[in-house]
Amino acid sequence: MAEFGAYEVGGPAAAQPSVPPLPIWSSEGPSAGEFGKRDHIDHGVTENPYERRFSPYDFNGGTTLAVSGKDFVVVAGDTRMSSGYEIKSRNVPKLHQLTSKTVLAAAGCKTDVDTLTNLLRTRMQMYEHDCNKEMSTTAVAQMLSNTLYGRRFFPYYSFNVLAGLDEEGKGAVFSYDAIGSYERTPFSASGSGQSYLIPLMDNLVTFKTRLDPVPDMTVEEIVSIVKDAFVTAGERDIYTGDAVEIKVISATGVTTELFPLKKD
Amino acid sequence: MAQFNDMSSSGLEQLPTGERPRGGFAFDLCSRDQQIGTSIAAGGGRLPQAMKTGTTIVGVIYKDGVVLGADTRATGGTEVCDKNCEKIHYLSDNIYCCGAGTAADTEKTTEMISSQLELHRLNTGMQSRVVTAVTLLKRMLFRYQGHVSAALVLGGCDVNGSHLYHIYPHGSTGKLPYVTMGSGSLAAMSVFETDWKEDMEEAEAIEVVKQAIRAGIFNDLGSGSNVDVTVIRKPEVGGGTTVMRGFDTPNEVADLRAGYTRPKAIVVPRGATAVLSKEVSLSELVTVEDAPEPMAF
Repeated sequence: MAEFGAYEVGGPAAAQPSVPPLPIWSSEGPSAGEFGKRDHIDHGVTENPYERRFSPYDFNGGTTLAVSGKDFVVVAGDTRMSSGYEIKSRNVPKLHQLTSKTVLAAAGCKTDVDTLTNLLRTRMQMYEHDCNKEMSTTAVAQMLSNTLYGRRFFPYYSFNVLAGLDEEGKGAVFSYDAIGSYERTPFSASGSGQSYLIPLMDNLVTFKTRLDPVPDMTVEEIVSIVKDAFVTAGERDIYTGDAVEIKVISATGVTTELFPLKKD
Repeated sequence: MAQFNDMSSSGLEQLPTGERPRGGFAFDLCSRDQQIGTSIAAGGGRLPQAMKTGTTIVGVIYKDGVVLGADTRATGGTEVCDKNCEKIHYLSDNIYCCGAGTAADTEKTTEMISSQLELHRLNTGMQSRVVTAVTLLKRMLFRYQGHVSAALVLGGCDVNGSHLYHIYPHGSTGKLPYVTMGSGSLAAMSVFETDWKEDMEEAEAIEVVKQAIRAGIFNDLGSGSNVDVTVIRKPEVGGGTTVMRGFDTPNEVADLRAGYTRPKAIVVPRGATAVLSKEVSLSELVTVEDAPEPMAF
């Protein structure tokens, strides 16, 4: 009975003002508005606490390119590492030599690329102990595809291009997507500048839409095409620049050259 | 002030239907744009992005006036749309304005205020003052509540001396001896905080501005290419403005291309492009006559 001061369940209608339900998602919180999310974290001091989303990926920029020749392959990657609008380093290589005949060029999230490379190297070492020989390029290509697909639902943010000499000594280039689909191609470009390089390579290397005959390309000609392409990509892509590291893999071994690009 | 907003009695040519042209923004396409955006997004695409200028823009006050500086890169997302755009806009002979943010917004806003200042000069018969330009800009930007994304560095000299302002997209302004705006503003400000002094000579001031813009060009990915400089001097020292477009060009690509032999494949020989069909016809404006008899003396 109300007069003895007992609590009443569901008091008089006008007793309490109705409270709106607490927002859970950041898109419903007080900071949601037409100007988007605020960038400070209030920790529930002046606002109701709500979920914030953490992105596990960051894009560190860069472009990679690989072109195969008759008995050699040219791999290149710029050396700029960036985050947002900042340059973190002008001298971080993107080319990772896996065997004496295979190089992995990878752009994307640097930590994912490094972890992937370490994992590949570990599994390659185990292969060498088991099979008593170095892994061939085609075997590495398959292993990379399997490794990437193993993370099908939380992918490595790594845009890979694998280049090397196959068992017959011919140049081989493999392009990948983030979850392991791969294909052997005459050339491959990936990263932030790929849209500028692929049409250029179509014209200068495979002579698509050109009627003049494709000459047998020498190492020097392909290297100068690669340099030309990176200067072009550096003009229009803000993430490409500083320098490009160019490796040539042939029967005699691997040579490396560092060609400077614009720093702006 | 009413005459600034009243365009109905201006001498603009009448439209064919006889309706009077109206000034300002037109919003009739907004709902259709939104529908197009939703249908494009459903198909996995994106609407075209407005071109932003990324940018490093700066201004300094020195002994005899104002020096303004800007980089020349315009980006659309992460692609460079324009390698040599002009970011220092003319407002009047003695007032110039650098703009960062959405390129169309900075261009059209400064053009609008420039024409308003010219009309005001014709009305008053006097040189434009910098405060007038600042007030016109901030009143307009505040009216649009930040939707006109224009961040400006405005500098000029008038009867009251030399003045430098920064203006934010929502309409706030500040009057300072040295300012920087844009994505490269932190890189440029670090140079100013180290090297700016009061009462610098002209050459010194230009050098500090050049170094500040260079800091933005090389350390900020949204800025790049060349340094543009504009110097506006006080009436006491003779007045006058010097516009130096391309004052410093540290990023010429020709130097880079000269560092290696260009590939032979870039030279496309005649006949390499497939000809699908050929049609030769003579325009009816051209008449063919036999060669006339040469004149005989």
